[in-house]
Amino acid sequence: MSAIAKKEFRSYFLSPIGYVFSGAMLLLFGFFYMEVLAMQSSDYIPMIYASVFSWLMMFLLPLITMRTFSEEIRTKSDQGLLTAPVGVFSIVMGKFLAAFYLFTVSLVATLIPAVVISFMGSPDWPKIFCTFIGALLCGAALIAIGNFISSLTQSQLVAAVATFGVLMFLFLIGNIASSISIDWIKNVFNWISFDARYQPFTNGILNLSSLVYFISIAAVFIFLTARKLESRRWS
Amino acid sequence: MKTMIEVKNLSKRYGENIALSHVSFSVGENTVVGFLGPNGAGKSTTMNIITGYISASEGSVSIGGHNTLDEPNEAKKLIGYMPEMPPLYADMTVKEYLNFVYELKKVKLSREKHLREICALSRITDVYNRLIANLSKGYRQRVGLAQALVGNPPVLILDEPTVGLDPKQIIEVRNLIRNLGKNHTVILSSHILPEVQAVADRIMIINRGRLVADGTPYELEHGSEKNGEQKLTVHMEGDPKEIKRAIQSIHGVTRVTNDGLREPGVYEYEIDGSAKTDLRRPLFGIASKRGWPILSEESSALSLEDVFLRLTGSTYLSDNADQYFERKGNKK
Repeated sequence: MSAIAKKEFRSYFLSPIGYVFSGAMLLLFGFFYMEVLAMQSSDYIPMIYASVFSWLMMFLLPLITMRTFSEEIRTKSDQGLLTAPVGVFSIVMGKFLAAFYLFTVSLVATLIPAVVISFMGSPDWPKIFCTFIGALLCGAALIAIGNFISSLTQSQLVAAVATFGVLMFLFLIGNIASSISIDWIKNVFNWISFDARYQPFTNGILNLSSLVYFISIAAVFIFLTARKLESRRWS
Repeated sequence: MKTMIEVKNLSKRYGENIALSHVSFSVGENTVVGFLGPNGAGKSTTMNIITGYISASEGSVSIGGHNTLDEPNEAKKLIGYMPEMPPLYADMTVKEYLNFVYELKKVKLSREKHLREICALSRITDVYNRLIANLSKGYRQRVGLAQALVGNPPVLILDEPTVGLDPKQIIEVRNLIRNLGKNHTVILSSHILPEVQAVADRIMIINRGRLVADGTPYELEHGSEKNGEQKLTVHMEGDPKEIKRAIQSIHGVTRVTNDGLREPGVYEYEIDGSAKTDLRRPLFGIASKRGWPILSEESSALSLEDVFLRLTGSTYLSDNADQYFERKGNKK
């Protein structure tokens, strides 16, 4: 597991993907921190994570999950992994951890401006941390979904576009819900909506059901990816 | 002798297609086995099942006593696998890649020393720090071989290990495999006969998913000699029709075929006859009497090539016609 995680993490930075992902994240967050400075109140910091985060993830996460499995399938290097004395679960976890680690490191780096601001003002750190934890969990679920989609196809491009579509659906389904008058459909949509699940964190609420929801989604998709890899042996 | 690989009643179906049908064999320690068969015969499928990359529709495989389904990791630990397309990562250097494989296989040997030995064995020391993307096909193939050797597994499965190598490298790899065979169980596949003949202690011929022959090269060759046949290939100058008629009149000749023009006025003839009489002397007698120069003559008992062609039917010739004729050309 650790061998695969290490190799995957390195390979992000052997190609431009790791740099583009981290760079784009820092650039966009930096831009919104600039807005915070313009508004001259550190209270706005958690709001950055509330508003920008979901959009950013939609565009950037497919970048780090698109190639995890599709590239291996295309170049047949999965043969090396699947015939090595490691289980499919270790392979999937290794890849998941590498992507999650890259995501976490980048996200932590976006806090640097907040630290700098804290010398001048007094940002609401508990609220920021709560938001941060929400972002991490939400990211973990999204990465697991992205990895699963990548295991379905040989083409990185198809994986990226499909992941983008699915993530967009998961974030925007809450907006659709608000315009639906049938109650139970509305409830289901709100229940699924990643945005609705994520928002409590940005208000400083460590919502247990959201926490469980994100972790469960991650676990389910890691499991499905392992099943998918295993099923390739039987087809 | 301890059994290292035990394959029982292996079948693999892809929907309607049968890729492998009831294949059984076992291989002992320190043996080199050559898998031979035309393209698409089921060689790679068999290897992929043995290594656990795909699973069989029916049957079982055990490696060193570990069933590949019940104890996959124990079985996989004993195998070094070099697939047809080496599982390389183009964006890594050879060094990074081999270190990754070393960690992936959880090898306990001293890292520096072990990797250095493997590089020396597969002759990739000089490209150790280069990016795999920039390596030639031959080098990639050898990195693929090195990757299989990491951890020094007792069983090596090599799928067409010499594809893409130049003749000098092919000889090196063959020598390497022969040396490895002294203390490893090696299965290698090929559709090139001389290659298998050169390194294997035992040959298995697979055709259309079935094991059609299994034995030492000697057994396979002499199994057909029992039929009492011999074969002669001659190049003679002169009128082909008359030559053919004259050869046919020699006592013991069963069949003469004209294989076509080789040089201006020179045709190649293939003569089949019974092994009881030597055809070479009467042939010389006729040729000298009629004044037909014999430019070359090669006699062969039924070669492995013939055995192979016979067992695999016409598919081999049509699939690999180019290679086949190229090899025949080399013989001259």
